[in-house]
Amino acid sequence: MSIQDLIERTKVSFCQDCGVCTGSCPVSRVLPGFSPQQMVGKFVLSADLGLEDEALSDRDMWSCLTCALCLQRCPSKVEYLEFVRAVREEAFRTGNKATFAHDGVIETIVNMQRGGLHQNKTAWAREAGQIAESGEYYLFVGCLPYFDVLFRDMGISSLGSASHMLKMLNKLGIEPVVSDEERCCGHDLLWSGNVDVFKELAAFNIEMIKRCGSKKVIFGCPEGYVAFKAYYPLYFGELDFEVVHFYDLVGEQIKDGALKLSRVEEQTVTYHDPCRLGRMAGIYEAPRELIAGMPGMTLVEMERNRENAVCCGVSCWANCSSYSKQIQMDRLKEAEATGADALITACPKCKIHFTCALSSSDMKMEVKDLTEVMAASALEH
Amino acid sequence: MSRDVLVIGGGIAGIQASLDLAEQGFTVYLVERLPSIGGKMAQLDKTFPTNDCSICIMGPKLFEVERHPNTQLLTYTDVEAVKGGAGNFTVTVRKKARYVDEAKCTACGLCAEKCPVSVPDVFNMNMDTRSAIYKYFPQGIPSVYTIDDSVCRIFKGKKCNICAKICEAKAVNYEQKDAVFDLNVGAIIVATGFDVFDPSDIKPYGYGTIPDVITAMEFERLLNASGPTGGHLERLSSLNTKAEIEQLEKQIKHAKAGLKRAEKNGQNSDKVDEVKKRLAEMNESLDGLKAKEASLAELRDIAFVQCVGSRDLRYNAHCCSYGCMHSVKEAVVATEHESELKSTIFFTDMRAYGKEFHEYCLRGGSEYGIHFVRGRVAEIAQGDGGRPVVWCEDMDTRKVEQHPFDLVVLATACVPSQGSASLATMLGFNLDESGFVKTDPNKPVDTSVQGIFVCGCAQGPMDIPSSVSLASAAASMAVQTVKALG
Amino acid sequence: METELRIGVFVCHCGINIAGVLDIEDLCEYAGTLPNVVTVQPNLFTCAETGTSGIKNAVKEHDLNRVVVAACTPRTHEPIFRASCQEAGINPYFFEMVNIREHCSWVHRHDREAAQGKARDLIRMAVARAMFLEPIETFKSKVEPRALVIGAGIAGMSSALALAGEGFDVTLLEKKAEMGGLLRDLHKVAPSEVGAGELVEQKVAAIKQEGRIQCFTSATLEEVSGYVGNYSATFSSNGNTHTHKVGAIIVATGGAPLKPMGLYNYDGKRVITQSELETKLKSGKLDAKSIVMIQCVGARIPERNYCSRICCMVAIKNSLHIKEIAKDAKVFVLYRDIQAYGVENEALFLKAKEAGVRFIRYNLESPPVVGDGNVEIYHPAMGKEVPLPAELVVLSTPIVAHDDAESVSRILKVPVNEYRFFLEAHAKLSPLDFATNGIYLCGNAHYPATVREAISQALGAASRASIILSHDAIERVGTVARVDQELCSSCFACVKVCPYQVPHMDEGGKAMIEPMQCQGCGICVAECPAEAIQFGYVSDAQIMAACEALCA
Repeated sequence: MSIQDLIERTKVSFCQDCGVCTGSCPVSRVLPGFSPQQMVGKFVLSADLGLEDEALSDRDMWSCLTCALCLQRCPSKVEYLEFVRAVREEAFRTGNKATFAHDGVIETIVNMQRGGLHQNKTAWAREAGQIAESGEYYLFVGCLPYFDVLFRDMGISSLGSASHMLKMLNKLGIEPVVSDEERCCGHDLLWSGNVDVFKELAAFNIEMIKRCGSKKVIFGCPEGYVAFKAYYPLYFGELDFEVVHFYDLVGEQIKDGALKLSRVEEQTVTYHDPCRLGRMAGIYEAPRELIAGMPGMTLVEMERNRENAVCCGVSCWANCSSYSKQIQMDRLKEAEATGADALITACPKCKIHFTCALSSSDMKMEVKDLTEVMAASALEH
Repeated sequence: MSRDVLVIGGGIAGIQASLDLAEQGFTVYLVERLPSIGGKMAQLDKTFPTNDCSICIMGPKLFEVERHPNTQLLTYTDVEAVKGGAGNFTVTVRKKARYVDEAKCTACGLCAEKCPVSVPDVFNMNMDTRSAIYKYFPQGIPSVYTIDDSVCRIFKGKKCNICAKICEAKAVNYEQKDAVFDLNVGAIIVATGFDVFDPSDIKPYGYGTIPDVITAMEFERLLNASGPTGGHLERLSSLNTKAEIEQLEKQIKHAKAGLKRAEKNGQNSDKVDEVKKRLAEMNESLDGLKAKEASLAELRDIAFVQCVGSRDLRYNAHCCSYGCMHSVKEAVVATEHESELKSTIFFTDMRAYGKEFHEYCLRGGSEYGIHFVRGRVAEIAQGDGGRPVVWCEDMDTRKVEQHPFDLVVLATACVPSQGSASLATMLGFNLDESGFVKTDPNKPVDTSVQGIFVCGCAQGPMDIPSSVSLASAAASMAVQTVKALG
Repeated sequence: METELRIGVFVCHCGINIAGVLDIEDLCEYAGTLPNVVTVQPNLFTCAETGTSGIKNAVKEHDLNRVVVAACTPRTHEPIFRASCQEAGINPYFFEMVNIREHCSWVHRHDREAAQGKARDLIRMAVARAMFLEPIETFKSKVEPRALVIGAGIAGMSSALALAGEGFDVTLLEKKAEMGGLLRDLHKVAPSEVGAGELVEQKVAAIKQEGRIQCFTSATLEEVSGYVGNYSATFSSNGNTHTHKVGAIIVATGGAPLKPMGLYNYDGKRVITQSELETKLKSGKLDAKSIVMIQCVGARIPERNYCSRICCMVAIKNSLHIKEIAKDAKVFVLYRDIQAYGVENEALFLKAKEAGVRFIRYNLESPPVVGDGNVEIYHPAMGKEVPLPAELVVLSTPIVAHDDAESVSRILKVPVNEYRFFLEAHAKLSPLDFATNGIYLCGNAHYPATVREAISQALGAASRASIILSHDAIERVGTVARVDQELCSSCFACVKVCPYQVPHMDEGGKAMIEPMQCQGCGICVAECPAEAIQFGYVSDAQIMAACEALCA
């Protein structure tokens, strides 16, 4: 695709030079000089003047969290997210890459999943509950087993959340397929420009789910959910299975009375909307209803909530730096100001990033995963 | 066949069109859905770029159109059906019951003073209250009172006839009925005006949640001598606090009296103790409120936020045409109220394109110290003590900045008036993509239906002089029509 | 021998508005003691039917020849009571009104005693003044049912057609050899996409067909005399001199785009104006593949500090036309603030963006620099000066007033502003009227306007003029200044101070004020050192009588 096509398709030239994006951007607030509006302006002019290399080598393009806050507020409806994604794709092709955190180990793990490697990803599931080889429901576990290993020293048990999800499904009479053959959803690759490998992984996953005969694929992770829901169809057309978020599914069951939430310890909590679940998937209320539905739990809102929620500071394991920490600490302080004992999030990555930030502070705030909090209430009896 | 003309809408455009026609000897029916003519202009405090008092320059026009022998004012009236075509329209109108005889009422105001009902006053943007029998605004024309049957006690089946009893002119008549009748006219002029966009849809701006974030029209009323503060510049938060204090003081007074009675009557001590406890609680919250009121420092810093719901593809793609200017005007007028005041205007493009407008803005900067910041406001957060904090990228310095203000005024979009879509269906003319009446740029007042013309903001957002010019233009077209066909 | 003065005083309760504060009975009693007062009547509401018929009956019953009403504001109620007097058979100016509501019961509601005293004073003054009231007659003057429209551009032509459509004769003057004005040089009209020439030809054809319009080309206005309804305009056209009697005049003399001499290397070849670009577009002679347009050239700068309203839209329109004929052409518009107000303009602005026209903002402090083959501009996102390719540079210059605006202003005695745009009577509510009755304005002569706006104003001005023309005769109340030529010392003071330039010296060297032209402002009355000018209804005798009554 030509650069001019990219400009036309993403409507960046509709920019009014108004600055709402920059004024809203969480990165701009902590990283002076970072400006989505300026990135657009620079890119368009460079492209117009035939300076495509210059346009594609803008390092700021990699600092964007793709949190969609600006997208939501842009009065010109500039497709900023798609712009960043597409520019990264072009940049990646010309050899420009993101700076990955954790020495790129996660990127390496993801890339390794292209080949014929055999993973032993399901051992935990057999211990936790009942799973099937094939069937209507498929539980997409994603990166949780890897995160479990990588971030165990931070006291994060990503598999705990996966196990609880499975147990709750079992309680509802669902024995989902969990597969060793499952590959990374490709979300991070898509957003770091490596679209070719994203497509390879996606094709593999689609084929694998087809083999399992599943019609409903359940996600606990917002990123996998959005990757499947919005981006797989973009490259592969309509999927022949339904993409379901765990909270929507559980929420329905609770409403129907199939799952009961019992009293939990009295506590006041606040809820952090993950960008992918909130602004990108439009799921704001389901998690809140689940929290408020647990007797003993009091939900208080942070000032910036729902559409206005602010990102956890890192995406795609890339460009994690001091500004990320500042975004995270600001968010945690906002949570603290509500008087809540705990910050509940609905994304495994948000949890990791906030926990990481907390580890170097003396703030008394707990970061919890919604699935685990729910498990305490739903699996008690 | 008729040479008479119907004008729908009694704002400045409809009034001007009616006057032009009446002065040329044509009979004009001026229909207005509200109890008084005047429209939006009557709500404004001052007008740019001359800073004329709006109602003062408009008032004479109101009288003129009411008194003119060729005009018939039909206020509190809806258009219900239209038949026929150019030269010969039959228009069915419903003159709603006011329950007050227009011929007898002398607008002495005694009824409103004694009426026990209190509801939000729409004219004052709900920042004040009015009674169930009310005058739409002090200078309203016709100068008569109207009973709002949706809130009047009589119409709720309750006992009350205070207004009827007190009226010396014997004008109150609860039995009055709507009058439905036909008008035969040769041409119709649509001057139904506009509505102010409701900014509560724009969540990041906090309208409705942060008390001191208000709309420009609300600010006009706060500046106005006949507004809820009598023209004394105050913040909504402090107004609210004052109202709360007043109410609490009333309750305390009441409780004290109750306590005295209880003690006198020798009631059991449990009850007395309970009242005492409640009284102590109330006194405590009164102290809290008074402390809050004291902490609300004088109004010093005002922000004006441009393009709220305008030039925004999510809401209204169009520009409101007058927002930049009315913010500069409001900043100038506010400074005239309170010279220590500092105004900041956050804008995208400064659209000061009319005669003397650019000069007015420059004067606003040099003489009134208005600080112009190029940049659309990203969000309005709530800072210390509930003060609104404006976040914005300054497009000149390219820095993201946050500033606390005492008051934030939103320059809200101009949107088609509520009934304009159904009126378009009834009359059969087309609307444009924004919902305003569609016209050919080279035939600026012709709607898509022969014999029906449009003027003022019904045609699209425009300032007062443009509305007035267009009104005269519509009158000319109507005259040409009735002379040829009527 | 003068007839005996018989004064009736009517005191209004205005419900509780007045009676709630003032003691009406006391006021009535007091009024009864005043000289020449033969009857005093209180009313609950004087303005109600019973009140006005009460006045009429009292006039008959007591043979009154002066009426004083003490009630509310004359602003709203004086006409009602005057009408009652007239209906009762006495001159409507044998009436005097006292405002004891606004001036007494409302402002002094907390000091009843003072309010009562003030009301007594005011009534006493009114009665004293009433004794010196004089009858005032109305003048009538026939109206010439023909209009003069000066300028046959889009505004003037539209006005002329509207007036003819309303049934009036029109004399249309055009200084050039043919009608059409500014539009003759233009390509297309936005957003209708009608050819500008085509639009002109339509109007010209309609005018030629319209028997009521007489058009004079190559015409110059030479002299105008007379007053509203009855002007006499002398002009020359193609060597002949004509004088037409007209009832109303519309000024539609237009404006012209500024020639940007010395600005941005303007040379008319590579650096041209928007109208020169339109000529190229019209003839299909545009071959540049990179075009840079610069806005606000010569506008919104200290020496010409106004925004010309239409240039942004002209640039947007033309950039779209360029994109239509050459999709790959690069078009940059360098602007300070884009003036795409309203629905239509903003939509066209978006359309230009969609078509790939690029808009880059600049500040007055760092204006673009036109170089060889490029235009250098400070680009804020780049944070540096950037050269934009520019085979062609197009300058958007403001509409400025024509050189002859001043002579038209002098001949018609109507004002222009510092930029020589004609000055309307009131910026808000009389945008198409001059302060002088019978003269109206529209189009670029008033201020830069789009074609839509110019046509709107033209139709509007026609409507305003029709108000005069639709009457057989104009009535004018004699509340005007009158010169007692016996006393006039020919000092010219009145001639100098009159804002409407009405007073003049007659053949005998004495001041003359034409009552039909006088606006009744009273400035000359105050100025005249010989006290030769008196004002109907506010004579010295009346004022002195009131003052003496106050101090008595």
